[in-house]
Amino acid sequence: MSTAHAKVTLLADPLQAAPGQTLWLGLHFELIAHWHVYWRNPGASGAAPLLRWTLPAGWTAGEVRWPVPQRLPVGPLTNYGYEKAVTLLVPLRIPEIALPASAQRIVLDAEWLVCRVECIPESARLTLVLPSPHAAGAARGDPTTQRLFAAARAQWPADGPTGGRYRVSDDARTLTLEVPGLAVDERAAVWFAAYEWGPVDPSGAQQRQTAGDGVALRVTVGDLPPSGNAPLDGLLVVETPEHGGSARRAHALRLHAAPALVADGSAGPAATAASQSPALLLALGLAFLGGLLLNVMPCVLPVLAIKALGFVREAGANPRRRLAHGLSYAAGVVFSFLVLASTLLLLRAGGAALGWGFQLQSPLLVALLAYLMLLVGLNLSGVFTLGAGLIGVGQSLGAGSGLGSTFATGVLAVVVASPCTAPFMGTALGFALTRPAGEALAVFAALAAGFALPLLLLSVSPALLRCLPKPGPWMKRLQQALAFPLYGTAAWLLWVLSQQTGASAFGAALAGLVVLALAACCYGQWQPRAWRRVLFAAGASALIVLLLRPLIAPEVAVSTHAEAQRLAWSDERVRELVAAGRPVFVNFTAAWCITCQVNERVALATENTRRRFAERAVVYLVADWTRRDPAITRQLERHGRSGVPLYLLYAPGRPTPLVLPQLLSEDVVAEALESL
Amino acid sequence: MLNCFDFLRYLFLACLPIVFALHAGSALAAPRVGEPAPEFTGVDSQGKTQRLADYRGKTVVLEWTNHDCPYVRKHYGAGNMQEQQREAAAQKVVWLSVISSASGQQGHVSPAEANELTRTRQAAPHAVVLDADGQIGRAYQARTTPHMYIIDQAGKLIYMGGIDSVPSADVADIPKATQYVRVALKEHAAGRPISQPVTRPYGCSVKY
Repeated sequence: MSTAHAKVTLLADPLQAAPGQTLWLGLHFELIAHWHVYWRNPGASGAAPLLRWTLPAGWTAGEVRWPVPQRLPVGPLTNYGYEKAVTLLVPLRIPEIALPASAQRIVLDAEWLVCRVECIPESARLTLVLPSPHAAGAARGDPTTQRLFAAARAQWPADGPTGGRYRVSDDARTLTLEVPGLAVDERAAVWFAAYEWGPVDPSGAQQRQTAGDGVALRVTVGDLPPSGNAPLDGLLVVETPEHGGSARRAHALRLHAAPALVADGSAGPAATAASQSPALLLALGLAFLGGLLLNVMPCVLPVLAIKALGFVREAGANPRRRLAHGLSYAAGVVFSFLVLASTLLLLRAGGAALGWGFQLQSPLLVALLAYLMLLVGLNLSGVFTLGAGLIGVGQSLGAGSGLGSTFATGVLAVVVASPCTAPFMGTALGFALTRPAGEALAVFAALAAGFALPLLLLSVSPALLRCLPKPGPWMKRLQQALAFPLYGTAAWLLWVLSQQTGASAFGAALAGLVVLALAACCYGQWQPRAWRRVLFAAGASALIVLLLRPLIAPEVAVSTHAEAQRLAWSDERVRELVAAGRPVFVNFTAAWCITCQVNERVALATENTRRRFAERAVVYLVADWTRRDPAITRQLERHGRSGVPLYLLYAPGRPTPLVLPQLLSEDVVAEALESL
Repeated sequence: MLNCFDFLRYLFLACLPIVFALHAGSALAAPRVGEPAPEFTGVDSQGKTQRLADYRGKTVVLEWTNHDCPYVRKHYGAGNMQEQQREAAAQKVVWLSVISSASGQQGHVSPAEANELTRTRQAAPHAVVLDADGQIGRAYQARTTPHMYIIDQAGKLIYMGGIDSVPSADVADIPKATQYVRVALKEHAAGRPISQPVTRPYGCSVKY
């Protein structure tokens, strides 16, 4: 029977019924060019053919045996189906009872969807008459039918190895499928198609992973990620290039949840019901560990090392007082993190488009931070000493009144740490800022707790203190050496400033730096007494403020990005370019973001990457967040980030851009480009 | 004996994996139920700007549609879609029909054609958003027509999937099917969680 798009026939082999026999029925489609029908899982859209049988009493039709489908891309979507021709085979069981002498009628009501880009639902009622077994000269089988059936069987998947597993990524965006014991050529293309809708996104990226033994594939999770320890059934299709064409094998697999996921599932019904709390716990954990890491960042370590030296000096002192100092330091850290976070949350609630790192978008603050770095550095170098100032906390530990200054050390540590937090904590902080205020503050508190912990431990445990080396002249040398990371940080902040302001404002900031150094030096030589000290500081500050005035209302930044091929980002531009069929790479960056600069140096501005971009006609856009830009902030938010770096690769015909990792290498960029 | 710097070094090494863990979370950001729905701004068939953020405080239904798709015809032909649009309007739910068919593709309409379709089909959406560049469709990863989404008063996605439970193009199946969107709106209005927040969308592919 023929419809507008297909010729469908119902076939049987053998063409004769016998009691107790299983014969095969086949629904054969011949489609007009470019149109397709669907597999059992049609993919992103479409519908599988639906077969309804009307059979003689007692006869039963089994499940459809589906040949391995093709992937059929439709714009950004992927479907699974068959073009040209396909035969769906169904086993038919005939019971062990005597058959009537007459011929047997088999009726099939078939409905199917046939599509090119547009879709047409079609249906047919097909009848097949099986001649009576007693009829003279009943055909044993038709050679054409047998050839079609043999061709269909050759397209069935083979049973794949058992023992395969799948693992859900922590963010529940991808699944890693692992099939041990399956040897697959390195050059082969491998893709997975789940039998059912839900667990795997048919249109999502699939990436082969390096696996020691067998095959591993990372696939994109669909709308309904696998829950609990439900098995995942599907086909692994391997296409190996061979003399111009490609050989295709398919393995039917049942993958079981990897142990980690099973453990999660058995943790209780709460685990699935509240999918957000693990994410929060994870963010809290990451923030805590990130806080720990901050202790060794170049801008923080010197301050903390000095603090640690204070503990060395006081090792023999009253442990209670030591604990009090430790706690007061921790309180200072937590307090200032929460103040920063609350400020940010308040400003955001007020509608300002800000993200983490916002402290560094004000040229004035950048200049002041640079001055602070310089001052602390000069102090470490021994240009001047403070009796009981922020830095000289060590000396004042003996006095009970020093608690306030330990608290201030905590605050100082956070202030100097803040340039380091943004690039390293982007993801966790991004998560925090998209959450309700309470959760966001909790994440910041966890960050603070991690940050404060090492020194708190030192103050609590005399055993750890014993691990610290004995005081000696090395402390002086160490102190002087530690000044240099701070000078380095100051130099970097000044470079940031140079990107944010014009030449005259920048010059003023440099002049302020000299005044500051001179003031520190004079202070060190004269060692003024109490009231003069205040007067001195006030005088120096006034002079600096006068110098920094241009920064309060800075000139519009002159773009110093010399490279002409860098086009500025705008959402419209991306849209236009993608619509015009051009792939687009967007680099969200800021001058004050070290990670961004490193990535540009090692992965983006390199000869290889430039060539690869050129080969694929990728347009390179830069979204510069060095100064506040609400449009960029919004775009970052859409990708769950509150800060830079963010790298997006838009491909024509893909619904969403590919998000590259925050740490780039040439290979990572090349791999992303491969997916175009 | 551990000295201060060994201590810091080990601390640093212990923390390295965390940095990598932080950077690993890079994947396509598909919309997920329970998370904020992607924000969008579009122009409707009356030339008015439709911004999701403007409907905070109201429940919003998004319906991807293509009047030439047989699955869409099934639901419009039987009056099922229009009936649900009217029910939604009566409950102060904002129903936006979205057309993401690209220019030259099936289902692409001019604003006048869109209004004519609304009139002749006696449809009752709050607005018909014309998304010919597919920005909104791609943000939601809308794949089929119809493909349905419900967004709550706070802008959170609470339902995504099919219009109902029987994936066929046959009008006769509508009475047999569970109307997922109707059920979800009813449950949400009653303050109950959505019993089936994610279902299989079925229909023609969106013609991006």
